[in-house]
Amino acid sequence: MSHTHTHGNPGDSHHKAAPMVEEITDYEVLEIAVRELAIEHGLFTAEDHRRFTEWAESIGPAAGSRLVAKAWTDPAFKALALKDGLKACKEIGVDWAEPTGVGTPSDYMEFHLLEDTPTLHHVIVCTLCSCYPRPLLGMSPEWYRTTNYRRRLVRWPRQVLAEFGLILPPEVEVRVEDSNQKCRFMVLPMRPAGTDKWSEEQLAAIVTRDCMIGVALPKPGRTVDVHPIQKARRPVKGSHQEAAQ
Amino acid sequence: MKKNKASDKTGALFKVGDKVRVRDMPYMFYTRSQMYTRGVVGTIAALTYKDLIAEEEAFNFDGRVEQYYIVRFRQKDLWPGYPFDNDTLQTECPHRWLEPATN
Amino acid sequence: MSEDQIALLEVTRNLDKTWETLAPRYGVTNPNPPWKTSLTAMCDCLAVSGALPALDRRRAEDELADSLYSDVPSPERQLLALVHTMVSRGLVSEADLASRMRIVRERLEAV
Repeated sequence: MSHTHTHGNPGDSHHKAAPMVEEITDYEVLEIAVRELAIEHGLFTAEDHRRFTEWAESIGPAAGSRLVAKAWTDPAFKALALKDGLKACKEIGVDWAEPTGVGTPSDYMEFHLLEDTPTLHHVIVCTLCSCYPRPLLGMSPEWYRTTNYRRRLVRWPRQVLAEFGLILPPEVEVRVEDSNQKCRFMVLPMRPAGTDKWSEEQLAAIVTRDCMIGVALPKPGRTVDVHPIQKARRPVKGSHQEAAQ
Repeated sequence: MKKNKASDKTGALFKVGDKVRVRDMPYMFYTRSQMYTRGVVGTIAALTYKDLIAEEEAFNFDGRVEQYYIVRFRQKDLWPGYPFDNDTLQTECPHRWLEPATN
Repeated sequence: MSEDQIALLEVTRNLDKTWETLAPRYGVTNPNPPWKTSLTAMCDCLAVSGALPALDRRRAEDELADSLYSDVPSPERQLLALVHTMVSRGLVSEADLASRMRIVRERLEAV
């Protein structure tokens, strides 16, 4: 190590550890306690839990973004993705059979990509229980799980989309896909204008999770999902807005 | 998902484009159905997979399988006064929830 | 206390100790607490084993989320709802949970 650097003290910003919540909450304790008891009572095995935990940690929306970007740039892949969703996922490294060999009890092994066109816009929901294409998108966002979204999207889709900032002309068919059985769905949005000659990485960066649920449209420069401000649960102490920083 | 072809008693399958009505069966027969499609006429949009009839809904545990379908409805047919003519909704139904619709 | 409430969970549910409140206080930007994936895995495992099918669990969670735990943010709300449902169904007992929580806390604090 070079001695010409002036690193200073161990607390120097070059070496500072990432901040952590330094207290042990009852929630953390409760989660461990119920899990240990469940394993002891034979409700599931520690091995299965470990496998599912690793799987939960491995999933996220990046895979979905890659799938869309590849479909946009490779017509043969797009055709495959529309005909055989599982096979297309395998090609980008997502195996719906994980982690059990036959999928999870919530995701199964039936995946369909919903292609948007200039006259057709899809948006997904699960009114019964918030099923979601987790192998491609990771864990569902909290708003997707609420009864508010699930009940209202089927009845007033355009109103809900407008709350996300998405307003579509009346001639466009808004099609709600309610995944109440074993099929899982994801939206293949239209490739926006102004992205000619973009690389797959550049394209993937604008395909955010909300675009693949159908509550947002991909746009050059839009790489983050932003939501309307939620009503603060406890306005005096803090808000969702602050917690999301 | 075990697929036991020998016990496939679905009979004639619906085809894409067929008009179907969601049967109004007693609630106990539904665990994954939404109330809002009961009695409504839609169109078969796709055939998906064959699956075992869910145990809680079958009187015989004989491994019967049935075809599942994606059914497409016009929002105008699902909700009174729905203001946008072109909007649709799709949901997945097993064969036994559906009957042919003539209209 | 109403009949639905589970005393242990009422004591556990402290809105000052949710991730939503604590994370900004410590400057942590991760949107979820470290135990969230373990909770997710637990839900999946209970469904796979048949001990608590997904639809049953989600229905109970919806009811509890709209009533008893409506003021608790996610994912603490999901944790409380899951434990509540498991206790209601006799999968774990409140007494066992209480004593195990004491043991776990001692173990974690000893490190």
